[in-house]
Amino acid sequence: MLSTTESAENIQKPATADLVSTIQESVRLHARYSLGKAWSDLSSRELFNAVALSVRDRLVERMLEIEERYRRDVPKRINYLSIEFLIGQSLGNHLHNLGIRDLYRQALSTFGADLEAVEECEEDAALGNGGLGRLAACFLDSFATLGIPACGYGINYEYGLFKQEINNGYQKEKPENWLAQGTPWEIPRPDEACLVPVYGRIEHGVDRKGGYNPMWMDWRVLIGIPHDMLISGYGGRTVSLLRLYAARSSRDFDIRIFNDGDYFKAVKQKIASETISKVLYPSDALVQGRELRLVQEYFLVACAVRDIVRRFEQHHDRFRDFPAKVALQLNDTHPALAVAELMRILVDEKDLEWEEAWTITQATLGYTNHTLAPEALEKWPVSLFESVLPRHLQIIYEINRRFLDRVSVAHPGDVERIRRMSIIEESTPNQVRMANLAMVGSHSINGVSRIHTELIKTSLAPDFFQLYPERFNNKTNGITPRRWLLKANPGLANLISSTIGEGWLTDLYRLRELESHAANAGFQAEFQRVKRSNKEKLARIVQDTAQVKVDPDSLFDIQVKRIHAYKRQLLNVMHIIDEYLSLVEDGRQPAVPRTYIFAGKAPPGYWLAKQIIKLIHNVGRVINNDLRASHWIKVAFIPDYRVSLAEKIIPAADLSEQISTAGTEASGTGNMKLALNGALTIGTLDGANIEILEEVGEENMFIFGLKAAEVRTMREQKSYRPWEDYARNPHVKRVVDSFSSNLFCPHEPDLFTWIFASVLDANDAHFHLTDFTPYVEAQEKAGETFRDRGRWIRMAILNVARMGKFSSDRTVAEYAREIWGVKGSTLLD
Amino acid sequence: MEIAVDNIDSIAVAAVPVDELDASNAGEFKRDIAPVLQANTRLVLDLSRLRFVDSSGLGAMLSCLRQLSAKSGDLKLCGMSKQVRALFELVRMHRIFDIYGTKEEAVHAFDH
Repeated sequence: MLSTTESAENIQKPATADLVSTIQESVRLHARYSLGKAWSDLSSRELFNAVALSVRDRLVERMLEIEERYRRDVPKRINYLSIEFLIGQSLGNHLHNLGIRDLYRQALSTFGADLEAVEECEEDAALGNGGLGRLAACFLDSFATLGIPACGYGINYEYGLFKQEINNGYQKEKPENWLAQGTPWEIPRPDEACLVPVYGRIEHGVDRKGGYNPMWMDWRVLIGIPHDMLISGYGGRTVSLLRLYAARSSRDFDIRIFNDGDYFKAVKQKIASETISKVLYPSDALVQGRELRLVQEYFLVACAVRDIVRRFEQHHDRFRDFPAKVALQLNDTHPALAVAELMRILVDEKDLEWEEAWTITQATLGYTNHTLAPEALEKWPVSLFESVLPRHLQIIYEINRRFLDRVSVAHPGDVERIRRMSIIEESTPNQVRMANLAMVGSHSINGVSRIHTELIKTSLAPDFFQLYPERFNNKTNGITPRRWLLKANPGLANLISSTIGEGWLTDLYRLRELESHAANAGFQAEFQRVKRSNKEKLARIVQDTAQVKVDPDSLFDIQVKRIHAYKRQLLNVMHIIDEYLSLVEDGRQPAVPRTYIFAGKAPPGYWLAKQIIKLIHNVGRVINNDLRASHWIKVAFIPDYRVSLAEKIIPAADLSEQISTAGTEASGTGNMKLALNGALTIGTLDGANIEILEEVGEENMFIFGLKAAEVRTMREQKSYRPWEDYARNPHVKRVVDSFSSNLFCPHEPDLFTWIFASVLDANDAHFHLTDFTPYVEAQEKAGETFRDRGRWIRMAILNVARMGKFSSDRTVAEYAREIWGVKGSTLLD
Repeated sequence: MEIAVDNIDSIAVAAVPVDELDASNAGEFKRDIAPVLQANTRLVLDLSRLRFVDSSGLGAMLSCLRQLSAKSGDLKLCGMSKQVRALFELVRMHRIFDIYGTKEEAVHAFDH
């Protein structure tokens, strides 16, 4: 198993020349015959394509071998349905996983090309908004590494998450057409296209035997064309499949209308159909109620379930065996329509009795919840649902009727409980509750961190927990150490491998072996050298993208994630303002010079988040231009946060900001990525922070603030008194007053007055002023600790050493054992 | 469209003469099959050539079935491709039509 530079070169030396020559030949052939280009005319982007195609050849070989093995052994297959897969760049990841990176480096160097430069030509596949989509991508890596027969199902969005540009501190969104120049990774499979009817009405009739037969009439048909991406596992033994569907019209266009001279009318239907997979919805409230989004969700589910049933029927003829051979995991509620779709197929198409179909459906499906905010749970107006999916609404009504009968038996006369648990919400208008549908239709319901799972049981869905306690379980999220350490941080990966060997790459708990080196001066020096080098690289990126010159010796304090009220970038900014005003007005110097680095996208329709981006820029502009502060504080916002940028920022972090309001972050995975790369965490007891604390120890983190139970109590008792904090604490007052004083918006008066009002509002859902002082204290402690560089580095090493639990291999192995009942070829015990 | 009608054992067998039966030609099909429906009570529709059918096409076939049923006749279908069959199943139309593999089987079914 080859990965790091030294070992790969040493072990492969005897055959290296031949292998390098084979790679060169393969790249040349693809340039000539796949791209149709003379070598001398090849652009950088085309060279990337040729290299990627030559790597893809190897993946295809593996895929064909594995498909053959699966045909022979017919193992249980895992199907992971997700509306988002945030893949990022693939080339570097494949080269690492296949252990051929150094061979490619050598092959390209003889062409006069630099591998890193070639890798940078790749567009990020940004088919997701954030954590949920990136989790799905990490799982694909772990499926392949663990040898679990698995397929991810998603949508082949033509436009991924928007590109973020900053204009005078304001976010501007630009379309991100990642497929504009094509992608070498996808293999289109038009021969496996499937037909998806949508819209229409139900005609109530009788069948040939006189039974009730609801027929779906007047539908419109979409065609789903699968595009396969091959996902390599570490060691290259297995590849997973990511099957992304693109929507196509049922006909290219109506030739008759075209012949009549109306070309635009002829293509109108085609364009409307293809809109379905055109764009990824940003994660904001505007998604709710959007007809196109509902069609997208059904399109994904219909294509995936049809494909899954087709594969099953290739080897089996009894549907009672379906759950023994197929598991279907729903990544949040977006694919929850799978409950109704599988029932529809089993009852309508396969003629199963309702009870048998229901038993099969429940035994097959598992549901992963990702949110605790009741208002964020997906709902669809019944009228819209009926217009888009009339037959599915009928099926959901029948599921609900039978389910509520059961609730009534368990809790006779408890009308309120029935109302709460119903899949159909009685409101104006009536709504279909997708989380309830998913919970009723799945044999497993899991949260993504321990506190999150407990809050699901006690706050979000206590009625369901009482009815189905055996269904609820926790699967704390994880990240793939291949992308987030081996690829992102080669310096640290090499240091670790040269110290404890390469076992950590497939068993992250092996990092524990670093603990004995944590106090070793030589190891500390190497660790510090790697971090310093990563910080220098990031400093150049900050200079290039944010035009802020920063000192790599300063403490890099980093908050990178989607911009959202509950993630509390505002609290971070309030601390920066406090530190700045203490310096310039009180003459109080911080413990150490700091560089505050932010990155993240605001949902386009989310005004508050966009204002926070503007605030960060304006605060940065004032502080960065104040000579009194220039040695001590810098603030930078790096635009267009994405996976490939995260891979550069995270290895350079000293301090990781994980400061969400307790009880709001389901898990977080940025917290894991940063700690794995040797950042210390300043954070609240929220999401996976709690489990990180248990692993790394309280003495190696900076924990502060309200706990989830305290937040809940304050909400229930309405005991938040921000004015008291404001009146009592001059630091609080000075920071809050700065928002109404135009200090940070001299050219746009009153721009941030809303923040003054917001943080002093007793209804502030994120308790900024209660958590402000403990946060400032924790920050001071962090600063003091950073002054003692030896201590800080020792703590950072211990963080890395104790992050073994947070490998997505562990997470996926738990899903496999406890939900899906499968074993992989290399599954961890 | 020109619909060829055969007579096998006194059963009319009409071949749908297009690859795709959809909104663009379902009306034409209904118009041109009307004389066949008037002249016969027992009809087999041979769908061997059909590769794609949309809801208008299915609606046209349903209309044929209803017209024949109204005069105590019957319609049977044969020669469906896998894709067309899948669409019938998707919308539960396979439950109201008698569907056979070949036209001989469909014709023979009228006798039993």
